[in-house]
Amino acid sequence: MVTALSTVFFRPLPITTLTVRQFLDGRAVRVSGLIGLIPAAFALIYLLSPNGTRFETYTGQFLELFAPTVLPIAVLILATSAFGNELEDRTLPYLTLKPVSRLRIVLEKWLGVIVVGIPVVLFGQVATSVILAFSDGNATEQRYAADPRFADRIPELTTAIWPALAAGAVGVVMFGSIFLLLSLYIQRALLAGIFYAFVWESILGRYLSGIRLISVKQYVQSIFTRLVDNPDVRIDNPFQLGSALIVAAVTTVVCILLATRRLRRINLE
Amino acid sequence: MTASPSAPQIAPKTLPPDRRPSGAAKPDILQNAAPADGAPPAILVDGVSKWYGDVVAVSDVSFGIGPGVTALLGPNGAGKSTLLKMIAGLLGTSSGRVTVHGEPVRGQPSTYRRIGLVPEQEELYPFLTGREFVRLNARLQGVKDLDGATEWALGLVEMRDAADRRLKGFSKGMRQRIKVAAALVHDPQVLLMDEPLNGTDPVQRANLIELIQRIGDSGRTVLVSSHVLEEVERFAGNIVVIVNGKLAAAGDYRTIRDRIDTRPHLVRIRAGDPRRLAAALIGEPSTVSVEVDADGRIVAQTGEARSFYDAVTRLAQRHDIRLYEIQPADDSLNSVFAYLVER
Repeated sequence: MVTALSTVFFRPLPITTLTVRQFLDGRAVRVSGLIGLIPAAFALIYLLSPNGTRFETYTGQFLELFAPTVLPIAVLILATSAFGNELEDRTLPYLTLKPVSRLRIVLEKWLGVIVVGIPVVLFGQVATSVILAFSDGNATEQRYAADPRFADRIPELTTAIWPALAAGAVGVVMFGSIFLLLSLYIQRALLAGIFYAFVWESILGRYLSGIRLISVKQYVQSIFTRLVDNPDVRIDNPFQLGSALIVAAVTTVVCILLATRRLRRINLE
Repeated sequence: MTASPSAPQIAPKTLPPDRRPSGAAKPDILQNAAPADGAPPAILVDGVSKWYGDVVAVSDVSFGIGPGVTALLGPNGAGKSTLLKMIAGLLGTSSGRVTVHGEPVRGQPSTYRRIGLVPEQEELYPFLTGREFVRLNARLQGVKDLDGATEWALGLVEMRDAADRRLKGFSKGMRQRIKVAAALVHDPQVLLMDEPLNGTDPVQRANLIELIQRIGDSGRTVLVSSHVLEEVERFAGNIVVIVNGKLAAAGDYRTIRDRIDTRPHLVRIRAGDPRRLAAALIGEPSTVSVEVDADGRIVAQTGEARSFYDAVTRLAQRHDIRLYEIQPADDSLNSVFAYLVER
């Protein structure tokens, strides 16, 4: 069913169709989806033992868990397999030995990553918010909710969901572009990407302030906090929304161009 | 120009006997590779080398290939797959150039309208059906009549009945045939095939060999890499032999065999009176040695095949000896190839 739909929707984009079907047939989507659901597992624990308001819990998991760790790892698995599988099983010549520009091949592959990556990776965020919605919140939230005088003191959970989805989508695009490029340059792109996600984004990013300029996490978190626009939801030195979006766009374009250049020169043994 | 993307020109089983352009009736390498109008050969490999660090995979190889079927031969590790990949543009050359119909292949995607490649590896997209795979190739080649071209290509390799099965369920032979269909779906002028007979059963082999012959006879240029020499002999009149990354020989394989005069040819003769004919042959300058085996056949070695064959018929006539059979005992591709590798 999904395969048939993808075939119909992307008929003019055969490489995107192929990529989507590759994802649907392989393990990468399932693994990415499961990783994306990790915050939902924490939400289930919250149901048993509410600690903090639902809004705090949701925004906290986005800033501390999803953006620095879950998002890069989940996208990494998808994006590196877009070209990586074909490089590994040597089926890439079926695409490159065609009168199709290298830019189009890269763009269609990238589109496949984004089209599959956004729903698969962000489904976990929706699931997390739905699970939290089943809770009445912690004692403070319940007390405030019961008193009309304080009802507006606790922000609605829904005010954080769409910023999370928007910032997460930007993250999928940025990470997707970077890891797609990485898979064309490095044979063990998955390992290199894991190292990047854990060491660069998660660990070094916390202690070395200069890294924030070249940290996707920082841009994703900045977009999220700017969109949530709540003084209780903040990070150190956030970028302006416009700046973050411009950097995201530039990063994406540069990665696509570098990947195109690489595809022109790559030796397919 | 390129083959029309919408009008495949090789009809299954109904090819005209010879559609080669005039002047190219018997294609040969180097000598006749270039068309009479002065255009470059269909495939030109000019001083091509490929090395990986200190390891030289291909060393200064030059040859041209015209229409017809040419076999690319060589022992394992000789560099023939590397060479085929450089011709296809999958690998860049370390030095030298490769052109197809005068245009460089690597970095020129438009050239692929003229080229079809049957790669060696078996891996395909397991989730696609055979028909979807061929159709995908047609779409990426810009073929206008997708359904028509797909069915035509599937018909060429007799895969229409199995075309709706997933590729992951295909046998090795079926994979080979579907790869051939995918390579032919846009009716390319140049077809590169890396070990296309691998994994096929005898019937499939015979059919594929017949198909390769028909494509070659239709005036297209077919370069087939293979190690199954007996079969190559059946479909390729020309060979390019690569040994240790170097060009060992190129041309009509029988001509090459004739040129190898440092080792005598072995000839078996069945005649009415073999002992008398053998005695007469001893005096011929072209004869190196002669003996009669237990079956009464003459086994002779000669350094000049043509002169020897002339002498056999002349002496048989003179001594009124009936000749039943004159057969070169070592004129197969195997012997040519083994000799070149040893040299």
